[in-house]
Amino acid sequence: MDVLQAGIGEFSVTDPDDLRAFMRTEKRRAMVDKVMPEAEAVRRYVKDGDYVSFDFSSFTRGPASLVREIIRQRRRNLWFAAKFTLMETTLLAAGGCLRGVDVGFLGLGHLIGKWVEEGRIKVTEWTNGTLTLRHLAGAMGVPFLPTRNLLATDTLTYSGAKVVQDPFTGKPIALIPAVNPGVGLVHVHQCDIYGNARCFGPGVSPLETAMASKRTIISTEEIITTDDIRKEPSKTTIPYYMVDAVVSAPFGCLPGGTQGLYEMDTAHFLEFMGASRDEQKMAAYLDKYVYSVASHEEFLEKRVGMARLLDLKRQATIKEGYH
Amino acid sequence: MNGREFSESEFMICQCARLIQDGTLVFIGYGMPQIAAILAQRLHAPRMVQVYEFGAVGALPETPFVRFTMGGPRNCYRSLAWTSMNTIFAQAQLGMVDMGVLGATQIDRFGNLNSTMLGSDYHRPGKRFPGSGGANEVLTQCWQTVIVIKHERRRFVEKVDFVTSPGYLDGTPGARERAGLPRDTGPWRVATSKALYGFDDQTKQMILLGVLRGLSVDDALKEMEFTPLIAPQLEELSPPTPEELHILREEIDPDRAIIGAAGD
Repeated sequence: MDVLQAGIGEFSVTDPDDLRAFMRTEKRRAMVDKVMPEAEAVRRYVKDGDYVSFDFSSFTRGPASLVREIIRQRRRNLWFAAKFTLMETTLLAAGGCLRGVDVGFLGLGHLIGKWVEEGRIKVTEWTNGTLTLRHLAGAMGVPFLPTRNLLATDTLTYSGAKVVQDPFTGKPIALIPAVNPGVGLVHVHQCDIYGNARCFGPGVSPLETAMASKRTIISTEEIITTDDIRKEPSKTTIPYYMVDAVVSAPFGCLPGGTQGLYEMDTAHFLEFMGASRDEQKMAAYLDKYVYSVASHEEFLEKRVGMARLLDLKRQATIKEGYH
Repeated sequence: MNGREFSESEFMICQCARLIQDGTLVFIGYGMPQIAAILAQRLHAPRMVQVYEFGAVGALPETPFVRFTMGGPRNCYRSLAWTSMNTIFAQAQLGMVDMGVLGATQIDRFGNLNSTMLGSDYHRPGKRFPGSGGANEVLTQCWQTVIVIKHERRRFVEKVDFVTSPGYLDGTPGARERAGLPRDTGPWRVATSKALYGFDDQTKQMILLGVLRGLSVDDALKEMEFTPLIAPQLEELSPPTPEELHILREEIDPDRAIIGAAGD
């Protein structure tokens, strides 16, 4: 196959056999208790320089408390998959954790754009769809997947995709390289102690993210028994052996919501948007919500408070479909 | 202030809603397109099926509309299916999605869209924007795509600074197909705060189809860097009707977070 065009964006390739060797030796098949404190999960499984993937949205079922813990532990030189996220690139960059972003959607607010303009944060262009396809390829253990998206654009030029002539139809087609994140972060409604995880409602790519990532940290609203999992196996989104750590994190998506349980905190989001215009304000925001509290529990207690938690729970009047 | 009884956003949303046909699958982008879809559903298109990039199919969003979020329970209420991003973009690639509705930062004569950056040097952008999101997929795969964009000279440019999502490329016949893009797809309508455009079948150039009642052709053209073709019979575009405004203001967006205040 002749390569008709090659994108010049920065990305790294994982050899599928190296990936298999990793899966063979590093991922546990035994059903062992993986529940651990959030700080320990991040300490063990998020390394400086890692590629970090985050499932779903800043507003809905996103692992926000894990992102705050990564910032609190001051990880460095991370590369972030921004496939449907709005706040996380700003937060991680403001915390000095971020080297680059796969875009997707770079994020909301003035600062993250400014940091890209200044060259402080690198970007590689993709689209929400092709970045998610990279995760599917990674989850399948193949080096790439073909797509008709991305063709004939500058987005492709600054991506890592290649255009080839399809050997079957003769038409140009884009090949999207797999991504195998160092760590995937997925927030779920329910999970057992081994990592059998359930999330309800639509989602970007919880299963692809967990399968593609070398390490997967699950944060969960609730820990349920394996007996409950076995009674309704069709509800299992992610099987335990793809999971390395289970973190109990009720209200773990705040300021986003988790469907059926609590609504997003619009007032907090507006506060973030205000802070995302100005470096000093963003530093103060991080200090208030990340550095000045030791844990997610302390964040809930001291920065959100029972009245707000109950109000957000009360606002979640739509329950159907999320159990 | 435009001195009118409605805002520019309200007119853009109403124009867009009027283009959405009943009984079709429509890919809905972030922000204004979400509101236009609800409006169309409440008026002439009750059986239109909304499709979202995070996998919701057939949502009947609750109102008042919750801004910022797309994937929350109110916006996904009473869906027919909750799938995932790979599934929904695969269905678009199969040719199942009739129409897409998108916003953009810049558009050129051939409907190429920029939502990535301003400036001539990619590595030193004058202004960096969020990028494609799912817009590239929508404009690539949907049979027809409607672009909702504010009518400003800095947005209607001779050449976009960056092609985020593909229009008719350089406008030569078959340019999309030669590049490997799906046959017979591309931008279909551009709904602005002053006018409505289509694309000429032969030359793929943007063509002025109509202007808002009370405005002249020149009012539209003077706010564009390039001169579009002009349809032989221009449509007079009705302002938002009382019924449309009632639904927008009383049901969908009572805080006027997206529709703006009358006269804006």
